[in-house]
Amino acid sequence: MQNIYEPIPVKIQKIEIYSGDVKLFRMAKLDGSPFPLNQNGLVFVPGQFVLAGLWGYGESPFGPASHPNDSSCIEVVVRKVGQVTSALHSLEEGDELTLRGPYGNGYPIDFFREKDVILITGGCGIPPIASLVEYIISNRSDFGEVNLLYGATTPEDLLMKERMNEWKRRINVTLTVDKPACNWDGNTGFVTDCLEHLKINSANTVVAMCGPGPMVDAIENLLNPMGIPDRRIFVSMERKMQCGVGRCQHCVCGDKYVCVDGPVFNLDEIDKAWDK
Amino acid sequence: MKILEEKRLNIFLDKLGKQAQLFDVRESILPPKRYFFPSREITFTFDKKSKSLSSQKAPKDFILFGISLKDLEAITYLDEIMQKPARDDFYFNKRDKSILIGLTGKEFNVAPGGDIILRKLKNDEYEVVVVTKKGEKFLKRLDFPFTCLPAGKEEKDRVEYKISKSKTMVELHGLLSDPELLHDAVKWSWQGYPEIWDKLAGECLNCGICTYVCPLCHCFSVEDEMDLSGDECRRCRKWDACTLPEFAKVAGGIGRPGHSFHKGVKERYYNWFYHKFVRGYLEFGKSQCVTCGRCKKYCPARIDIEEVLLEIMNRFKKIKN
Repeated sequence: MQNIYEPIPVKIQKIEIYSGDVKLFRMAKLDGSPFPLNQNGLVFVPGQFVLAGLWGYGESPFGPASHPNDSSCIEVVVRKVGQVTSALHSLEEGDELTLRGPYGNGYPIDFFREKDVILITGGCGIPPIASLVEYIISNRSDFGEVNLLYGATTPEDLLMKERMNEWKRRINVTLTVDKPACNWDGNTGFVTDCLEHLKINSANTVVAMCGPGPMVDAIENLLNPMGIPDRRIFVSMERKMQCGVGRCQHCVCGDKYVCVDGPVFNLDEIDKAWDK
Repeated sequence: MKILEEKRLNIFLDKLGKQAQLFDVRESILPPKRYFFPSREITFTFDKKSKSLSSQKAPKDFILFGISLKDLEAITYLDEIMQKPARDDFYFNKRDKSILIGLTGKEFNVAPGGDIILRKLKNDEYEVVVVTKKGEKFLKRLDFPFTCLPAGKEEKDRVEYKISKSKTMVELHGLLSDPELLHDAVKWSWQGYPEIWDKLAGECLNCGICTYVCPLCHCFSVEDEMDLSGDECRRCRKWDACTLPEFAKVAGGIGRPGHSFHKGVKERYYNWFYHKFVRGYLEFGKSQCVTCGRCKKYCPARIDIEEVLLEIMNRFKKIKN
């Protein structure tokens, strides 16, 4: 049996530069074999995370952005924010890195079935939502009305624009920026503004979010009066992670371990946690 | 009943030392967890040239001698922690190679752990209590000439139960018998009695000693180290402490300060209690404390967790009644 902390070697197949400090890495297994599938036939459940690392620098958690059915690769979006992510940014296609996981629970896709889905994210929170969108689109008839609301500071900060053009054919996509540029024809303002204009059937709507705490709080305050209770609002939490298996204690949030009980929680589960 | 006379203890230790590496842990400041979960250990070594990965090798057999009852209990508990939700190989590779010999002057009805326990009797003698099969096998192999007493003689010779006479964490010991109440009280205190956490935040020095000396604390961080040639990378697991400022901090990007999910001493110190008495109880059905008293003894700020818990409990009971 493999040691739970032992990573597998992977190779960078492709790097896409999204902006000055954001890159997408497509990783394949070194021997070319496919990634193992879970009971649902997925490489990972959208919302689960992997620990990607580089020997000599350490590991960091990322929510994969790739299609969860694609066992040939796992894609992660890396924003240069610290030691590990800076090291990853120095790599080139063909370079090797390490991978552990997938860990955690992911979005409850079976619960989402037959329901209208609102996906809300901001800035670099798009990857896990992107893989969820890919899953929904592949199983489009299983879901009702699907809305993606995605906000960023400037139009350049909106990631995955090419993929989004594909998505627009199958789901409703609303993009918004805080600071528009001259060629910007989308919305201006926060995602909360876009949410207020959305017509929703609150009795049969679920919400999946990935974004910063203040955004989550603001959206919760809007959704509750619209008739969507906290237990139908799912959010992916960010925490420091070291072990990934619920032992090292870095990611604790009240009674929960973000790495094993999450990173996706409904707001009911974590709202009362004191360590936000 | 096997008896070891106190005057022959050193001969016994000599003999143990010939069997395997022997660590005498009597009077040890750091708890025995360090032999299975060292403060720094290399978990993996990666050779960049050959691209080969090697993991830690299993150690040779070793003996820990002189473990207290409380530390034996803590090891048993830590075994449980390291098993859940997935087995920690680095811990069990070492744990499986160890023989634990307890030493106690206190009476016990059920052995709290270990393989063999030397129980002090009145006449400068120890009763040799075999706890596990592993211990039994070991003693057989050791072939030490113990004195043998006829069965039934032991009861009246035992020294008195000392815990009630000791001043260490006596009342906490009592509180731990109702871990659910302790869970309720500590959880309530964050909002119900914030003054106590404000006060502790002013006292705690953020040094982390309470967690290092705790036989149950098991926070860790993973850090990579390179050798000077740059060819060999060693992934190290190191003790961490949830009371330290960087513990729950994430990077924030160029020019940004990052974010700590436990932003102040108050949150961090409360988190330590929360783990021991709230989350620990939810996970394992008992508090993560064996009342060894080390945290109180070695705290440079002289914080006494027993007093803190008693204060919370008194306030909680008053309000609930």
